[in-house]
Amino acid sequence: MPLGTLDRRPPPFFHQGPSALTRLAVFSAVALFLMAADTRFAVTRPLRSGLQMLLLPLERVLAVPLQLTHAGGEYMSGLHAAQAELSHAELALTAQSAKAARVDTLTAENTRLRALVDLKPGLVVKSVAAEVLYEASDPFSRKIFIDRGASQGVVPGAPVIDEAGVLGQVTRVYPLSSEVTLLIDKEAAIPVLNTRTHQRSAAFGADGAALELRFMAGNADVKVGDVLQTSGVDGIYPPGLDVARVVKVDPRADSSFARIALAPTASADGVRHVLVLEPMAMQLPPRPAPESDAGKDKDKDKNAKPAKGGRK
Amino acid sequence: MPRGADQLLLPVNPLFLWFSLFAALVLNMLPLGRVAAMPDFLALALVFWNVHQPRRVGIGAAFFFGLLMDVHQGAVLGQHAEAYTLLSFLAITMHRRLLWFGLAEQALQILPVFIVAHAVSLVVRLLSSGSFPGWTMLLAPVFEALLWPVISWMLLAPQRRAPDRDENRVL
Repeated sequence: MPLGTLDRRPPPFFHQGPSALTRLAVFSAVALFLMAADTRFAVTRPLRSGLQMLLLPLERVLAVPLQLTHAGGEYMSGLHAAQAELSHAELALTAQSAKAARVDTLTAENTRLRALVDLKPGLVVKSVAAEVLYEASDPFSRKIFIDRGASQGVVPGAPVIDEAGVLGQVTRVYPLSSEVTLLIDKEAAIPVLNTRTHQRSAAFGADGAALELRFMAGNADVKVGDVLQTSGVDGIYPPGLDVARVVKVDPRADSSFARIALAPTASADGVRHVLVLEPMAMQLPPRPAPESDAGKDKDKDKNAKPAKGGRK
Repeated sequence: MPRGADQLLLPVNPLFLWFSLFAALVLNMLPLGRVAAMPDFLALALVFWNVHQPRRVGIGAAFFFGLLMDVHQGAVLGQHAEAYTLLSFLAITMHRRLLWFGLAEQALQILPVFIVAHAVSLVVRLLSSGSFPGWTMLLAPVFEALLWPVISWMLLAPQRRAPDRDENRVL
């Protein structure tokens, strides 16, 4: 038997390196620093982007078996299911085409009326279609990752929708992918408008793939079945997108606020294609110049110049 | 498999060692959905190599793989890294004692290590966001400990081969 055939070697006397305890202390300190830096400052962003780029090929490859099982499942479900789905889709399309035809005339009418009363024209939202790479398996949060990133024009904070309604919001953007925090995540919040009463409120993520309406008085006019849409006051979500439906109203006696449970209209499970919208704030006119300039330039052309020139 | 009665092992192939860690990472990254009780294969492989090859796979490697998991899951950067660092430290401190026991006893002794790692993750999450994934997450370390004999058998198999090739032997 040649030398070095066995895995039994005496431990080295010298050159052992730092002790395990020292290494534990060092790496724990680095990890704690990273946690603090990641939540408070933006310094860890390049590190995260780099590692994400490193993992992206692997993630893309691992998404393939998922797509194959989806495709295989659809293939195996048979002709009847496919035909039923097709007729369902055609029905939906017919219903929508009637609506769409009306939308065209309404848009034209709206533009004319806005011009008549001298309102600014309504905003047109730009969008990017994206495919879902994978859902984070982290049991603590609800996040999905999509295959469009900064190089395709996705910006942090952009709303993400699917055909049923609002799904979530882009929270981190990498060069070629982005992270979307779903509305049902515990840390997510969205301003909503009750379409029946036109009352504004805020919906927050809750446990078990649901949302809740917080800070509503116990006697507030909210009924089961009310549809909540985006209100458009946040400068992020365009107004009028479906968000959720009220499923339970519990006017609690022990609190001045009611507990209102909502079911999101867009289901995050099994979603594969999403639309990333441009945040509304990016299309709004820039903020007006500071007060000191206000008295000086009555001429509107001067406002267009950079603020530096006007100040002096 | 007490050490006294154990067969003499061949030296580990570093290529196989790093490939097994990479495979565990891939297994962790498989999009299987959100299951709180899902065992962490990467933690399992890291602990295994920390116990068997502490001079090759140390705390630094555990830290780096933790960072990769953080980025993949979109978690706070450093959450998995911290958990894996602690996991690796505990595994290295007990590696001399652990190998004197049989596989079942090893699994029993390794269970608290996994519990501590999951507890660290939970505490970090409770501090940063206050979310709790449910009680089924208590099962994850138990599954990991139950997988310990399996992974020990699988990852030690290449080292159990005969030093001289033998046609009548499978491995």
